[in-house]
Amino acid sequence: MTTFAILPRWWITVAALTVTAILLSPFYWVLVGSFMTPTELFSGHIWPKHFALENWSVALSRLWPHIQNSLIVSAAASAGTLLITAPAAYGLVWRKPRGRQTLMVFTLMTQMLPAIVFVIPLFIVFTKINLVNTLFGLILADMTFTIPFALIMLSAYMKDLPYELVEAALVDGAGQLRAFLMIVLPMTLPGVITVGVFSFLIPWGDLIFALSLITDGGLQPLTLELYKAVGQYGIDWSFLLPGSVLTAVPAVLFVIVASRFIVAGVTRGAIK
Amino acid sequence: MPVKKTTQAAVAEPSRAKARKARFDLSPYMFILGFVVFCLLMLLYPVVYSLTLSFRQATVDTFVSGDMPFNGLTQYQAAIADPVFWRAVVNTVLFAFFSILFQFAIGFLLALLFQLNFPLKNFCLALLLIPWVLPVLTAANIFKGLFNDIGPINQILHLVGLGPFPWLADPTYAFPATIVANIWIGFPFNFILLYAGMRSIPIEVYEAAKIDGANFWKRVVHITLPLLKPVSAAVLMLGTIYTVKVFDLVFIMTGGGPANGTQLLSTYAYQVGFSLLNFGEAAAIATLLVLLVLVLNLLQLVLQRK
Repeated sequence: MTTFAILPRWWITVAALTVTAILLSPFYWVLVGSFMTPTELFSGHIWPKHFALENWSVALSRLWPHIQNSLIVSAAASAGTLLITAPAAYGLVWRKPRGRQTLMVFTLMTQMLPAIVFVIPLFIVFTKINLVNTLFGLILADMTFTIPFALIMLSAYMKDLPYELVEAALVDGAGQLRAFLMIVLPMTLPGVITVGVFSFLIPWGDLIFALSLITDGGLQPLTLELYKAVGQYGIDWSFLLPGSVLTAVPAVLFVIVASRFIVAGVTRGAIK
Repeated sequence: MPVKKTTQAAVAEPSRAKARKARFDLSPYMFILGFVVFCLLMLLYPVVYSLTLSFRQATVDTFVSGDMPFNGLTQYQAAIADPVFWRAVVNTVLFAFFSILFQFAIGFLLALLFQLNFPLKNFCLALLLIPWVLPVLTAANIFKGLFNDIGPINQILHLVGLGPFPWLADPTYAFPATIVANIWIGFPFNFILLYAGMRSIPIEVYEAAKIDGANFWKRVVHITLPLLKPVSAAVLMLGTIYTVKVFDLVFIMTGGGPANGTQLLSTYAYQVGFSLLNFGEAAAIATLLVLLVLVLNLLQLVLQRK
């Protein structure tokens, strides 16, 4: 009896795995293609005859300085974003400052604006105050993407806190800051971490700010270096594909580790 | 929910609440201070700057000399007089329409499938998130390869006796190619939200319909779709906002070419700004792009009312 009950379920699994495989085949192509020689890549093979590991060693050594730039920019932008938005989300939701509605609406509105609205002014102003061609300038620029996004998501997490808990902490004589650090932060930690990781991934994948604010080759982040590698002498696929996979590593790791948090976070932020 | 709790607690302890109200409490403002400063300097200021720039002459000469004189609507007139601008408007709308249509359809069907419980469900779900979290650069390069003249897509089409198509070299083919890439990036987002939305529909409703003899498709059409309406509306609205803003994908895959065939307002504004170095006109195009987002969202609201 139980086998009959389980059997159809496995058929659904087969169907779901097939659909997933089809939908993910482009990603499979870049993974496998990154180990192929240029001649093998477009010859209809779906598995490399021998793994062209030299693709990867060349790409890694050429991209290493740019990976470092990307790491610095993304880590700093993520840290800065959390430092600013975690207290702000708590303050806006629980401490009811005046003007909070205006601030929330403004933050939501910025989500509608295309990047170009920020890119042109920041380019002009940063040129004047010598912030172009600095990683600090790029970090600040990237935060225009991450900060509104982080505030919206964190506010949703903060709303889920039981009010009694926050109130009790304050009644017990804990200072506002202590209550925030000792009670609110630990309780919203999964949310804070999820938002922190997103705030890392957004700058990591950014191209438009890097493209317009960084011209110094030594400061280029990973995405910009890869973008510029195309077109100079045609497309060098044996460099571009491992490079593209490398760029995807943090995001894919994140999905593997935390898919459940992502689903919860995304649905919360968007629907509430 | 939290609002309710707040009022309950306030009723329970009126004296304390009053006492706290009596002296002006600065501490809430300390929490939001950093955010407010950032909003003013890095969000509001650039937006206002961009808007005023669209009424100024800001080209290479004026940029170097430092004074950018106001010249009214000149930038807007120049922008709308250019046929490339209108091409970009049409492309942006079509790009958004077809992207959203297919993203939503794929996301909806997947969400239906995932309402069933089966082994390895969470594994499949996690994998299906990958296209969405992938950096756009990676996705763009993937599709640049797939749509290569001798790439996998032409090879597969060759097996069924079609092609080869000059996907990225010909405007008529390049435009749908960029849309396909964008559908791939966006379907997981539609999927997750619709999946969560469907799960919140109480199972009793379905069971009642089942007893009344409604088959699977009838249940989808008469229960799932209507009850999912608030979620679908949110998904479509967010989809519009995200899709109209798309820049990197097209910029990397085609750069807006060939022959402006894939030119979107976002890529066009960037080109006018950073290739032609006409920042005033670029800012004007950016403003018009924002207006387009607003108009499309209003249109959706009106359509959903009906």
